[in-house]
Amino acid sequence: MSTNTIPLELTRKDFVSDQTVRWCPGCGDYAILAQMQKTLPELGIPREKIVFISGIGCSSRFPYYMNTYGIHSIHGRAPTLATGLAVTNPDLSIWVITGDGDGLSIGGNHLLHVMRRNVNLNIILFNNRVYGLTKGQYSPTSRKGFKTKSSPMGTIEQPINPVAIALASEATFVARSIDSHTQHLGEVLAAAAAHKGVSFVEVYQNCVIFNPDEWGPLEDRRERDDHMIYLEHGKPMVFGRNRDKGVRLNERFEPEVVQLGEQYTVDDLIVYDARSKALAMMISSMEHPYFPTPMGVIRQVSAPNYTEGLMAQIEAAQAQKGKGDLHKLYRAADLWEVK
Amino acid sequence: MSKELLKGNIAIAEAAVRAGCEAYFGYPITPQTELLEHMSSRMLELGRVFLQSESEVAAINMVYGAASAGARAMTSSSSPGISLMQEGLSYIVGSEVPAVIVDVVRGGPGLGNIQPSQGDYNQLVKSAGHGDYHPIVLAPANIQEAIDLTVLAFDLADVYRTLVFVVADGTLGQMMEPAELPPMRALRPRPEWALTGKGERPQNIISSIYLSADLLEAFNQKLQAKLALIAQREVRYEAYQLEDAEYVVVAFGTVGRIAKTAVQNLRRQGIAVGLFRPITLWPFPEKQLSELADSGRIKAFLVTEMNAGQMLQDVRLAVGRDVPVHFYGRMGGVVPMPEEIETALAELVNGNGRLPKTILEGKNGHPTR
Ligand code: SF4
Repeated sequence: MSTNTIPLELTRKDFVSDQTVRWCPGCGDYAILAQMQKTLPELGIPREKIVFISGIGCSSRFPYYMNTYGIHSIHGRAPTLATGLAVTNPDLSIWVITGDGDGLSIGGNHLLHVMRRNVNLNIILFNNRVYGLTKGQYSPTSRKGFKTKSSPMGTIEQPINPVAIALASEATFVARSIDSHTQHLGEVLAAAAAHKGVSFVEVYQNCVIFNPDEWGPLEDRRERDDHMIYLEHGKPMVFGRNRDKGVRLNERFEPEVVQLGEQYTVDDLIVYDARSKALAMMISSMEHPYFPTPMGVIRQVSAPNYTEGLMAQIEAAQAQKGKGDLHKLYRAADLWEVK
Repeated sequence: MSKELLKGNIAIAEAAVRAGCEAYFGYPITPQTELLEHMSSRMLELGRVFLQSESEVAAINMVYGAASAGARAMTSSSSPGISLMQEGLSYIVGSEVPAVIVDVVRGGPGLGNIQPSQGDYNQLVKSAGHGDYHPIVLAPANIQEAIDLTVLAFDLADVYRTLVFVVADGTLGQMMEPAELPPMRALRPRPEWALTGKGERPQNIISSIYLSADLLEAFNQKLQAKLALIAQREVRYEAYQLEDAEYVVVAFGTVGRIAKTAVQNLRRQGIAVGLFRPITLWPFPEKQLSELADSGRIKAFLVTEMNAGQMLQDVRLAVGRDVPVHFYGRMGGVVPMPEEIETALAELVNGNGRLPKTILEGKNGHPTR
């Protein structure tokens, strides 16, 4: 089946489709699209091996704008279409593009299962904490008290933390980034693509129309380094624009922000270990403004992906029973003759 | 009460509130989201329940739960959202709890578009869930009627302990026209079959399961008897200028309203045309259409719909083979203009009951038998 392909030197332009991009001016989606188009050529995967699958929502317009294969599918169901595709064509580089509504509301169930199965694909969840396409209702990630067109007195619901959901679902790669920090976003997307198995990336995205203030100082180039901590495997958890703050584990085994100086030094800080689920769980609970928002790769472990598991089972079944023989299978059941 | 300028989706929502809807559950979907948004503020003011669910599947089952507790409960959605509800719809009918659902239809299949369509006729009338039943389906053609039918929907749901749909489309949902809202009704007491806490009375169980074949058949026979009663008592339709009509256009909802303009224009030219507009899509006014066909006066029927001819089949069944039934439709969110229907009707008149080839083979026409 496989043909020899001539390695192509691809550039960002090769991934730009001929469609007019139709998001609101200033929407964070533009930056994510640009980073994706910039990152993909670096992966060395031919365009015809790349598929973008989305559900419904503003983010789900993404496949139209990528000059690759694409499916604009059903609200919330992209993970299932992607699973079907991944197991039948394991050669593909599959990207599920979803949002906080599509992925965590109507599609919450599917999202859990695609992650726990460790299907070899990448999920990028654009989190703007509001329903944009239907013009401004609260979403499952909306802050408690958020006033929208469907919560005139503020929502009374506890928001979901997408990273915590991914960890609880045993995703083997969990990361977070933000639309406005393009360099960081590009690095995270590349790391997600490189990971074998399921990659889950939450991207904080600015809906300038219906929830423009959501990310506050995190979107501000000058201030953001004081409000985000860039996790690095094997490195102490230092942050701040002057790199003078850090996160340590206190006596109650809880994360605590400390000022580096006389009382605490870098040696007192947590050394991040992306293989530790316990650490990832704890870090995922760190929320702005009480903590710097954890950004980067939160968890990465290696485990057999679903297709590998399936192939191994197929091999084992054939080794045990030989190639499939339908007749033999019929005969294998309890049979008796009616006379 | 006096008339005020109302937007369709809001008018339906407010009519539901005034009809005593105690609990609303829904998920945003264009073109019905304003209905949900209106409920989000109105219901709280009145001390009632509003909940934005995580999906349409959740919404219909929340309705099922609230209705089981005896509350007047409703949800609203648009075509793909209604498709998602199918399982819940069937269980609601099987458990005999009342529920009201508003479907603001959009273009399909699949994601289609958000433009007005009547592509849900079959989904609502013929296949709203598995099993042997039809929900009651009410199809308003203007905002006043949408208000009145929404109130009626709650009453019918209660009387027959069944599912009632109000079916509109984006045109009706988004347009504004003067209409009068009904007075605010008091909430009705919880019915005696509802799950209100056993106390001294015998235990109530809400269920749709009948493990034994005999019991299930007995339930189904009871259900069929109920449906027969609804079919006998609840048929509603508008007969417009039918007394002396020789050509009859059959259309429902928005298209019915457009067809009426076409009929008026042709009448001004002295052409004997009339409009038959089913208001209940189920029960379908089969007998009334059949009698009209049997009058011997009608030379042809023209069914017009914003779909490929879904109600057409019910019209044909009712009319039989003696009078020709033709079809003119637009699809994919294209709303027909009165002139188009007028032209089709005029051609029918000129052809003495037959549609010329141009209409039959045009992009919009649909060959009939
Ligand atoms: S509504 Fe919000 S998320 Fe959607 S395109 Fe506009 S700014 Fe972006």
